[in-house]
Amino acid sequence: MEKLTFILIVLPFLSAIFCYITPYRKIRSSIVMATAFLLIMSSLMLIRITPFSFSPITVLGADIHHIVLILDFLILFLIFYFGIKHHHLLIIIFAILQIVLLGYLEYFMIKEQTVSPIFYCDSLSLIMILIISIVGSIICIQSIPYMKNHEEHLGLRISREPRFFGVMLLFLGAMNGLVLSNDLLFLYFFFEITTLCSFLLIGHDNTERTIRNAVRALWMNSLGGALFIIALVILNSQIGALDMQKIIHTPKAGLWFLPIALLCFAAFTKSAQFPFQSWLLGAMVAPTPVSALLHSSTMVKIGVYLVLRLGPAIQGTFLTHCVAIFGAFTFLAAAALAVGQSNGKKVLAYSTISNLGLIFACAGINSSAAITAGILLIIFHAITKALLFLCVGVIEQHIESRDIEDMRGLYSKMPVTALITVIGVITMIMPPFGLLLGKWMAIEAASRNIIVIIVLALGSALTVMYWARWAGILMSDPFAGKFKTEKQPILTWVSLVSLCLGATLLSMISPWLYSWMIIPIFNEKYLQSYIVTRGILENPSGSFAVIPLSILALIGFFVSVLAVRKALRARVVPPYLSGVQLSEPGTFLGPMNQPVKAEAKNYYLSSIFGEQRLTIWVNLVAMVLITMLIGGAL
Amino acid sequence: MFKKLIRNSRMKSPWLLHFDCGSCNGCDIEVLACLTPVYDVERFGIINVGNPMHADLFLVTGTVNSRNSMVLRNLYEQMPNPKIVVAIGSCGLSGGIFREAYNVVGGVDKIIPVDVYVPGCPAKPEAIIDGVVTGLQKYDRIVN
Amino acid sequence: MSMSMQILLVVLGVVAGPLIGGLIGGLDRIITARFQSRVGPPVLQPFYDVNKLLAKEYTVVNAWQAFCAYSYLAASMISVALFFLQSDMLVIYFVQAVGAIFLVVGALSSTSPYSQIGAHRELLQMLAYEPLLVLVIIGIYIETGSFKISAVYSWDKPLLLKLPFLFVVLGYALTIKLRKSPFDLSTSHHAHQELVKGVTTDYSGPLLGLIEIAHWYDVVLFLCFCSLFWATNIAGMIILISITYFLEILIDNVSARMTWRWMLGNVWAIGLTLSLVNLIWLYQQ
Repeated sequence: MEKLTFILIVLPFLSAIFCYITPYRKIRSSIVMATAFLLIMSSLMLIRITPFSFSPITVLGADIHHIVLILDFLILFLIFYFGIKHHHLLIIIFAILQIVLLGYLEYFMIKEQTVSPIFYCDSLSLIMILIISIVGSIICIQSIPYMKNHEEHLGLRISREPRFFGVMLLFLGAMNGLVLSNDLLFLYFFFEITTLCSFLLIGHDNTERTIRNAVRALWMNSLGGALFIIALVILNSQIGALDMQKIIHTPKAGLWFLPIALLCFAAFTKSAQFPFQSWLLGAMVAPTPVSALLHSSTMVKIGVYLVLRLGPAIQGTFLTHCVAIFGAFTFLAAAALAVGQSNGKKVLAYSTISNLGLIFACAGINSSAAITAGILLIIFHAITKALLFLCVGVIEQHIESRDIEDMRGLYSKMPVTALITVIGVITMIMPPFGLLLGKWMAIEAASRNIIVIIVLALGSALTVMYWARWAGILMSDPFAGKFKTEKQPILTWVSLVSLCLGATLLSMISPWLYSWMIIPIFNEKYLQSYIVTRGILENPSGSFAVIPLSILALIGFFVSVLAVRKALRARVVPPYLSGVQLSEPGTFLGPMNQPVKAEAKNYYLSSIFGEQRLTIWVNLVAMVLITMLIGGAL
Repeated sequence: MFKKLIRNSRMKSPWLLHFDCGSCNGCDIEVLACLTPVYDVERFGIINVGNPMHADLFLVTGTVNSRNSMVLRNLYEQMPNPKIVVAIGSCGLSGGIFREAYNVVGGVDKIIPVDVYVPGCPAKPEAIIDGVVTGLQKYDRIVN
Repeated sequence: MSMSMQILLVVLGVVAGPLIGGLIGGLDRIITARFQSRVGPPVLQPFYDVNKLLAKEYTVVNAWQAFCAYSYLAASMISVALFFLQSDMLVIYFVQAVGAIFLVVGALSSTSPYSQIGAHRELLQMLAYEPLLVLVIIGIYIETGSFKISAVYSWDKPLLLKLPFLFVVLGYALTIKLRKSPFDLSTSHHAHQELVKGVTTDYSGPLLGLIEIAHWYDVVLFLCFCSLFWATNIAGMIILISITYFLEILIDNVSARMTWRWMLGNVWAIGLTLSLVNLIWLYQQ
């Protein structure tokens, strides 16, 4: 147990240091691969011993509390330094606030260390660890070839790779630490590390634009950190403990809800919910593996993880209702904004915000079915979104554009990547795949809440719209059926294919995933939500036949594949162009006998769903909802 | 029996594509008149689909000239087999009064194989319907 | 329900689905023709059409079309089968949405602008009716306490009495799904040739036949949803469906095609208001 947690938390820190000081790419790559391997193995071994809790006294021979405290201050001063360096007043204010409050908390309020255990691992933590360690490791592996390409493309004289991989590994360790921490001071410490990592990685390319976006991410996340530490101070004065488990199970009294509301608020900033979406959108300037790791599959999940953790404490209160409405609103608004986007990475970013909103809505509905939905969404969203981000990264390096319109007919240029992307999109929106299973549960769980359900219904229709058109145009080109071979580094194939298999196969075994991973979460507050019989998830009001549907889907898939094989022998006719098409594909004979390219663009409906039009209103509504949340807690 | 079923269905469901190669619109008005309630060719399952990808029957009116001969050929090729071409009106048959013009190629059969010729200037709706029915009789020969 | 009974029902749904769908299509065409003082085709006309299409030459623009057409058919078949198994309504709705998505993806795989724009209009149509359908299902759930169709059948009062507005909302969804005016934007049964054949433009021959069959399944599925509103006896179901379908034909014949803006605004404004009102009634009880 000690060894496993050591590997999961401390080892990435050590590897990060080694990566940072190694000048040779080969050695660095092997360190990354070895760390990834160890992380995957130890996270899998953790399944057997969950749940557990323990409190280490020392780490690497030093008192663990002192180490954390020193590093905590170090990070805050670093943030303070970056604030001064980039002349950003908000960052400076938030950093000073945090330093003062942390000092006050440590030296004046906490008389003796009462938190035990420091680390606590239940199924929720385990699921997060598996996502972080497995998906995160796969992304790190893919970033080896990606960064090589990236640096060659930029033509850097001094490689910035050591810094990149150092921060990536550091981040993995911090994430593992965060989800294992039971002591809120530890949680806060890891929270701050992830903020710093995000800042460093967004600004990785060191151009004016990346730095501007990185600074924006830093101030917004520092706001989250400041809210967090304020919540800790109040919590400590109210119940005299910073123990997550204790807080959840303490009876509510006095100013009890304010710190919880503040923690939810901090969670919203971390998960880039409206009105803080701009940092996540700006973060898309980072190299794509960063977007995949931090800004879709892991770091932004901290927010939803926190709220799910706090779920039992707020069950049946006004606060949980607010979170549900806020989440549902974000789900709808981000989906609407995604419809108006043609930039592939922005679509992914908005879709991430949207899905996080849905998970928040689930956490807010706070029934056992909703919690199940939320956890399933976390798992499958992490896998699928990581896959899609990596695909967009590969595509971007190949066609030098991230615009969806430029991906028209990508199948003829990079068939395998295009296919994997389409599969990724399909797993986002179609049954029997995990995300849709989660959405089904969410809708059924929300059906007693009239506002939430109407908003979810609208949002889910918008979601279909922006995914379907993307999947469609990837295949949009007449092709004669000859597979062109596509060359990519082996590590790219390994990561893409493993994520793709993960997204599809894991969906098919989701009933068992549910029995193994999610049922242990239920307790006296959450009754078991679904019963699994013969691969069918069922409760008194509904049933989702995962296995039968998967089998039918597989049969349908194979029949369709056979149909394609038959279609490959069919006569190929040019698309209908009013009869004036020329032999050159997609062109017609225009005026003066000149060839003209026939063009059709996607509907982005920017007059309705455009960023300029919607953002301000969406932010306004979100602020009102957050005010409601804080005000309701007072 | 299966073959008979298919043949029967083909006879009962000719979807037509109407293409005006450049006529004076006299024949076109007559073609469309067939679809009006007066003649109501939908009784026989005939629909004007306006899309070569879906069509079985190709109704061509007007003279073929050097500009639109490409369009005529393209549309014909986009139609899936079995397909029947009906040339309508004097112009469609031979180029009509325009056949001496410098840019005129001539009748429809200069470009694509024609199954039925419906003469007239303009051709009467009854004649057009008769031409279509005659064309349908040719399915047996085309398929086998 | 016993296993053999279930299998029987599935077979019934899968076999009878297209037969009924085709017959309804034939009747639709005759009634439409009578509205326009025409005689109209024989009642079996849709079967002749599909038969002919299936026997035509196999031509494709892009081999993906075949994948999408078969997937569309498969999804529609599964959704009808699930309905006959009296399964979860939301799941049925999601499965039929898969079919609609594949139709769009197949159309997008052609570079023809007609097909592309048709596909996007189809997406807009889905955008218009999908939330309404979810809300109708939610309304049924609030009333009966279950998402399963079996619960609706064991409910002792007709749902129409409690969910009148939601039935109107379902009517909107049905009009869009049946491709009736004023919502026949993406493709139409008639020779309105503004977009050629819209979303189906580049499907031809057997693939078009498959899409037509899948459409029959969809029609049957939506009419089945309508029948849930009077599930207490068979006569009631049939009368309700007949009246609804007759009204659909009437609306089709008296209205012109509208733009997507009008559709989205109109359907969402009226549909959401009506569902909201009806849902509030239900929550109040």
